[in-house]
Amino acid sequence: MQVRTLLPFGVHIAPNLFCITFNKWSFSLLLAMVVNSAAVWAQQSNGADADKQTIQMLLQRIDKLESQVARLNAAVQQTPPAAPASEAQPSPAPSATQPEMESEMQPEAAAVDFSKTLLRIRGFADIDLHGDNRKGNTTSFTLGQLNLFVTSDISEKFKFLSEIVFEAGRDNAFGVDLERYLLLYSHSDYFNLAIGRYHTAIGYYNTAYHHSTWLQTATGRPFLFLFEDQGGILPIHNVGVSASGSIPTGLLGLHYVAEVGNGRASRSPQSEAVQNVVDENNHKAINLALFARPEHARGLQVGFSVYRDLLTPANAPTIGETIFATHAVFVRPTFEWLNEFLVIRHAPMGSRVFDTPGFYTQVSKLFGSYRPYFRYQYVNASNSEPVFPQVGLQQGPSVGVRYNASEFVAFKLQYDYTAFRRQAAVNGLTLQAGFTF
Amino acid sequence: MMQRFAGLVVLIVAVLWLELWPDRAIAFAAPPASEDSIAIIVNQSNAVENLSAAELRKIFLGERSHWPNGRRITLVMLASGQPERKAVLRDIYHMNESEFNNHFIQGLFTGEVFVSPKALANAGEVRKFVFNVPGAIGYLRASDADASVKVVRVDGHLPEDKEYSLRIQARSTK
Repeated sequence: MQVRTLLPFGVHIAPNLFCITFNKWSFSLLLAMVVNSAAVWAQQSNGADADKQTIQMLLQRIDKLESQVARLNAAVQQTPPAAPASEAQPSPAPSATQPEMESEMQPEAAAVDFSKTLLRIRGFADIDLHGDNRKGNTTSFTLGQLNLFVTSDISEKFKFLSEIVFEAGRDNAFGVDLERYLLLYSHSDYFNLAIGRYHTAIGYYNTAYHHSTWLQTATGRPFLFLFEDQGGILPIHNVGVSASGSIPTGLLGLHYVAEVGNGRASRSPQSEAVQNVVDENNHKAINLALFARPEHARGLQVGFSVYRDLLTPANAPTIGETIFATHAVFVRPTFEWLNEFLVIRHAPMGSRVFDTPGFYTQVSKLFGSYRPYFRYQYVNASNSEPVFPQVGLQQGPSVGVRYNASEFVAFKLQYDYTAFRRQAAVNGLTLQAGFTF
Repeated sequence: MMQRFAGLVVLIVAVLWLELWPDRAIAFAAPPASEDSIAIIVNQSNAVENLSAAELRKIFLGERSHWPNGRRITLVMLASGQPERKAVLRDIYHMNESEFNNHFIQGLFTGEVFVSPKALANAGEVRKFVFNVPGAIGYLRASDADASVKVVRVDGHLPEDKEYSLRIQARSTK
């Protein structure tokens, strides 16, 4: 095999050259060549060193790149296949540049997938100081609801949502309520489905603020929308199925909600108000709501809802319950005006019909960090109302100011005046710290 | 009772009229062509070529959650403090950072917003994410867009058009 040696000055000499007869002439000739070559070498050695270094650097760089490619290939092979229908799947119609980027992107995309099924928790809470002149009441510090809002993206179409509320009652003992517990399915903008325990889409307030006082401007809900365990008169919670979505009506922005659930309990006043597991009867509560969010009036929402159920109290005639609600609200970051009006109709079999009307209006405007607000509310139930005989007439104004101490902490001071039928009016003052975390 | 209700309705109409009227003057005004534009980008596989300003706002607010092909929309935002994000908050959301946060907290809480936007650190990450996620939509400086993503028209205009409305610099108002 002939091996060629690469000399620095670019002349190739066969190795057998060194095997020639070693005599005086040949030695002189060789010496002359070496001396001559050394002179040339000395002239060119600087540039040759630079070439050598460059080649060395390039080789090192190739080694480095090869090792990087090997690592990436190993990472790609170790990555499990993406979840079905995940948002991070490679594009089905890749562009010309996509193949080069794909190997680089896949580990990152997989990381997005892995986080999708993690639980996300946001908390809402409030702590109050309240006092009023109602006989028997004392001025007290009050721990409000501690609400853990837990969600999880199960897949591209499915999501879990819940509100777990820790709350103390008037006996000072804490209890835990699962206020919302929903599996959501989002098929399209026009059809979404939720099954589980939800807030009934009666009017606006109930589905806008849920169990967060921090989101609300005022310190609490209007009378009409108080929770069942706080003396509220509406079936605030329901267990069943809720479908919702937008209706393709262009600029009008129509939306619908259709709900079928167990409805409220009525067998006995001591019953748990929400029928979480067993319905008292086979009749299901139905609620239909329609509202518009016009494109040219951002923040405006106008709508109505109709709720229908059949109540079956023990030792009393069956009662037909119908709730008509209408609302017009205008909510922008710096201004809100909420207006809701509803009538609760109870029609016991073979007896007279009882209509309980109620409304509230609330207006507020943000000035820097301060948001003064005003609310007037009214509800008028007959003293012989068969479902909530203790409500009677309640009406009066509330004024207050909300101070946003930080992005997620608000302090509120609210004065309430509430007049009752044949009872002394009540003046109340509440200081609240509401926050989210 | 009915008189109170009627009075309330009249009051509502009057206030809404006063509140709504000033907004009618706010429109996408043509900015100087020299300003740097913000490109709205989607995945190359997305068939959408053009979005109206109203559609764009609905998508960014989370009010529209699906593309016409049924795929869920995934919104990508740049991290807070970047000029592109400030411009998007100003021109698409009409909100500041705090209002933006509140909007999505409440939207997720009510269930009306299915997924909150993803926040990424820089244009390169936004580009990579949109490249890799078929339902993604994001934004970046027009000069940062490349062939790996598709730039959609807004109201029929591309970022290089003089009439294009999304610019880093505040638009001139009437």
